[in-house]
Amino acid sequence: MTTAAAVYDPQLPGGTSAVAASARQVTKAYGSGETRVTALDAVDVDIQRGRFTAIMGPSGSGKSTLMHCLAGLDTVTDGRIWIGDTEITGLRDKQLTRLRRDKIGFIFQAFNLLPTLNALENITLPMDIAGRKPDQAWLDQVVETVGLAGRLKHRPTQLSGGQQQRVAVARALAARPEIIFGDEPTGNLDSRAGAEVLTFLRRSVDELGQTMVMVTHDPVAAGYADRVLFLADGVIVDEMHAPTADSVLERMRRFDGKRTS
Amino acid sequence: MLLKTSLRSFFAHKGRMALSLIAVMLSVAFVSGTLVFSNTATSTFSKLFAATASDISVQPSKPADDDEPQAGDKPATVPVALAQQIAAVPGVKTAVGQVMVGDAILVNPATNKLVGPTSGAPTLLGNWADTPSNPVKITSGHAPQNSGELVLDADTAKKAKLGLGDRIRVDNTGGQHPYTIVGIATFVTTNPGAALAFLDTPTAQQVLLGEQAYTSVEAFGDGSRSDDQLKADALAKVGGGYQVKTAAEQKNENTKAIGSGLDFMKYAMLGFAGISLIVGGFLIINTFSMLVAQRTREIGLLRAIGGSRRQVNGSVLVEALILGVLGSTLGVAVGLGVAVGLIKLMNAIGMDLNAGDLEIGPDVFVAGYAVGILITVVAAWIPARRASRIAPMAALRDHGTPAEARSNLVRTVIGLLLTAGGGGLLVLAGTADKAATGGQYLGLGLLLTLIGFVVLGPLLATVVIKVLGALLPALFGPSGRLAQRNAMRNPRRTGATAAALMIGLALVIGSSVFSSSAVSSASAQIDKSVGVDYIIGGGRTGVTAEMIDAVKRTPGIDHVTTEKDIDARFQLPDGTTKRTGIAAVPPAFFGTDFRLPVKSGAVESIGQGSLGIDEEFATDHHLKVGDSITVHYAGGHTQVLPVGVVFAKGSLFGGASFADLATVSKALPAAEQPGDRMFFAKASSGADVAKTLTALEDALKQYPQLTIKDQAGYKELVQSQVNTLLYLIYGLVGLSITVAVLGVVNTLALSVVERTREIGLLRAIGLSRRQLRRMIRLESVVIAVFGAVLGTGLGLAWGVTAQRVLRDQGLATLTVPTTTIAVTLVSSVVIGLVAALVPAFRAGRMNVLAAIATD
Repeated sequence: MTTAAAVYDPQLPGGTSAVAASARQVTKAYGSGETRVTALDAVDVDIQRGRFTAIMGPSGSGKSTLMHCLAGLDTVTDGRIWIGDTEITGLRDKQLTRLRRDKIGFIFQAFNLLPTLNALENITLPMDIAGRKPDQAWLDQVVETVGLAGRLKHRPTQLSGGQQQRVAVARALAARPEIIFGDEPTGNLDSRAGAEVLTFLRRSVDELGQTMVMVTHDPVAAGYADRVLFLADGVIVDEMHAPTADSVLERMRRFDGKRTS
Repeated sequence: MLLKTSLRSFFAHKGRMALSLIAVMLSVAFVSGTLVFSNTATSTFSKLFAATASDISVQPSKPADDDEPQAGDKPATVPVALAQQIAAVPGVKTAVGQVMVGDAILVNPATNKLVGPTSGAPTLLGNWADTPSNPVKITSGHAPQNSGELVLDADTAKKAKLGLGDRIRVDNTGGQHPYTIVGIATFVTTNPGAALAFLDTPTAQQVLLGEQAYTSVEAFGDGSRSDDQLKADALAKVGGGYQVKTAAEQKNENTKAIGSGLDFMKYAMLGFAGISLIVGGFLIINTFSMLVAQRTREIGLLRAIGGSRRQVNGSVLVEALILGVLGSTLGVAVGLGVAVGLIKLMNAIGMDLNAGDLEIGPDVFVAGYAVGILITVVAAWIPARRASRIAPMAALRDHGTPAEARSNLVRTVIGLLLTAGGGGLLVLAGTADKAATGGQYLGLGLLLTLIGFVVLGPLLATVVIKVLGALLPALFGPSGRLAQRNAMRNPRRTGATAAALMIGLALVIGSSVFSSSAVSSASAQIDKSVGVDYIIGGGRTGVTAEMIDAVKRTPGIDHVTTEKDIDARFQLPDGTTKRTGIAAVPPAFFGTDFRLPVKSGAVESIGQGSLGIDEEFATDHHLKVGDSITVHYAGGHTQVLPVGVVFAKGSLFGGASFADLATVSKALPAAEQPGDRMFFAKASSGADVAKTLTALEDALKQYPQLTIKDQAGYKELVQSQVNTLLYLIYGLVGLSITVAVLGVVNTLALSVVERTREIGLLRAIGLSRRQLRRMIRLESVVIAVFGAVLGTGLGLAWGVTAQRVLRDQGLATLTVPTTTIAVTLVSSVVIGLVAALVPAFRAGRMNVLAAIATD
């Protein structure tokens, strides 16, 4: 990216090597006039490189919107967003697509895989699309890490839900993106399969140095993260470092209490 | 409740129904348009014939037996005295002798060009008689009063730019007769496209008939008796030697004659309707299958809360019914436009129909709605049944896209059996000794292989696309691979979509193999069996001695050979009789001018009073050289001729029997022989064939009715005749391909909707819009090429078999039109690209997030 808009602006924070993504004064509104709904209200956030960040909040708090905006899937009404050194606000669809392809990995809640491709083809799909050869050693390591070695030739329909999510994790990891976004990646799994997937995510951060951002409403899932951001009504209201499931649950309870009071 | 769900769901998916609607509409439009057209034409003509019919018409008797050979080609007549006899029948007010012949032509002597229609509608010449039922009225000038005057109809005069006082010539076998136009007559009824010219009665009799006679007597009653009574009285008076027809009978007969002319048009149009019905049927099946698939959860829920199978089935069928009713309504409306178009087309070729008074009978609506609703409901039946089988559990199951349908074993076995059976029949057809038997096998084999391929479609889709598509990943990267997998993921759908295209292209290839074989066989035959350099066709008037003389006098011409087609009945040694034609030829150059391959006997025997017959005829009736055949001619003349030579089958003159003209003349007096229809000329050795052709054309300039062809020209003529048929087929195919393209568009558009989330995922992980569009285009191309490959295979099998079946009927040489095949395959790629335009564009526009968020 060499366009002016994409060049890192040293006046603003977010571009240091310690930060993988950052948002400044990001506002996202739907509709206009009386029907205007503000999903994000002047949010500032920095995502540290090599860390596992969780975004939590009640339904309608704007947590998914924030993730979609950070990941370049959705456009913002106001404010600026960087992925690494690249400002993504103002990029055209073509540039955004390339950015997603080369720098970002995704894990969705469900329907992560193409039913027509087998597990291995799904894992290498982003590199296929980019026309790059996968790094075989890295690929082997990723496949090993997520424990799919025996099932690479299986179609998604022949895999369990947990296995499908692990393939999705492997796909996100395989292209070595700068940052991986997960949108409730364990939302559709039972607690055992969920724990398995979260363990892989944790290991990919610890062992592979991956940057991970995950939206969740599950305190247990958030407990795997290094840092939890709490969102309410489109604003970051709190954050917590080195959380545990219990401390997150505690924080969420307070949250609910405040909301109901 | 059921109706409400169906209605809501229909209108919620109206976009997805649009293409099915067009398909139904097209088929119905062709059916109703054809009906409106033929209703209009029939009513126009029955009005015309009702207005121009006399109360009773007394005509020469028809031969009692169809097997009886016809005498010469002179118009049959009734004696002049008959008019007085009929006039004396009680209740007859007037009886008018009428002369009306179609074997003469009108020529503008200034330009030597034909006046009046050159093809199709006739040129009729007759006597001017004032009758109450005259179709024309003299609007300027006067009736013909002497042997130099003629009245011409206004439309013909206008087209030929002739007016009062202009010279005009009447040519017939009797020679050329000059006249001055003294009157212009205008049609008081619809002009059916014919040219009419009138002479005074004595001149008409002398020039057109060559005798004092009439072609019929038209009588008009005084109103005291019914036509039937008049007919009975007239018959009683004149005896059985004549046929008497009442006004109603004349009208029916004429309407029937015109009707058979319009039938060709009608069947061609119904062919169009049939093709669009079949192809549209596939489209509808696909639409409903996809709608049902997309609604699996909804239907599951309906079942879970207590909806019965019948209700589910019913709700799909009711939706189909709505589609059928809407499509038929639109179709009937569009059909009116089709009818107007057909009428304009008929006007262009000279038939005067008025688009203003369209006849829209109830049959148009009945047939239109029946066809439209039936096809839709029948096509939706299979998807509806599938819908009713959806278990309530489906409501609970989480799913992304509907499960991939596998082609099942039963279907595969049935398909294989049908195809194998059809293939076997085609082989039988190709090896059958008799063309008729072969033709039956061919017809059945064609049908079975077609159905077999449609049934096998899903299996073939898996196999063929695996092979075809193997190139795609290599050529187009990930888009190629995704496209290949997408095309294969629902073989049933791909099969049905491609089947529509397959049918159209199989027809193209089959008929091009057939036609190019016909053309090349004819060319080869002409080279092999035609020894003469020029073939001169006599047109409407037949050949006259003056024409032959003119050719003989042309420098560079060595000799002229004539041929008479004489109607005869053979009484054969095996006890059977067979009506057949004898080609009577002068034996002098027979062997060299017509180079017929000899099976047994000697060509020279023809000159010695023997008969030459065709091998197939000989085999059928166990005839061999030396056998005797009793030949019956018209008028009771008979002679016994020995078989002198048997010609090998498969010649250009396939099936004809030959005899020396002198031999025939011994039994059949020259006066009772028909005129020559065509004759042949051979250039002298050393003469320039092309220059001599020009000289010939020059020498025959004053006979515009003749067609003068050298061998190359004759080949072109054959080719153009074949091409006329081909254009009709191409029209059919164009239509079926249009509907097939709609089908591909339909399938793709629905697939894109169905795969919304998948597309969202692909876009999220970095597939660019361009790659996405390419993926959809490639899928489309794969489906189209798959259809084209099947169609080409099927068409080749059909065409080759047809050629084998007709190998002895003049289709000896097989020619595979490689250019057409190449063009077909390439255009299938184009078809795929065109069909993908809109779906690819829409997929590209899809919002990434919305796509992922879709539940």
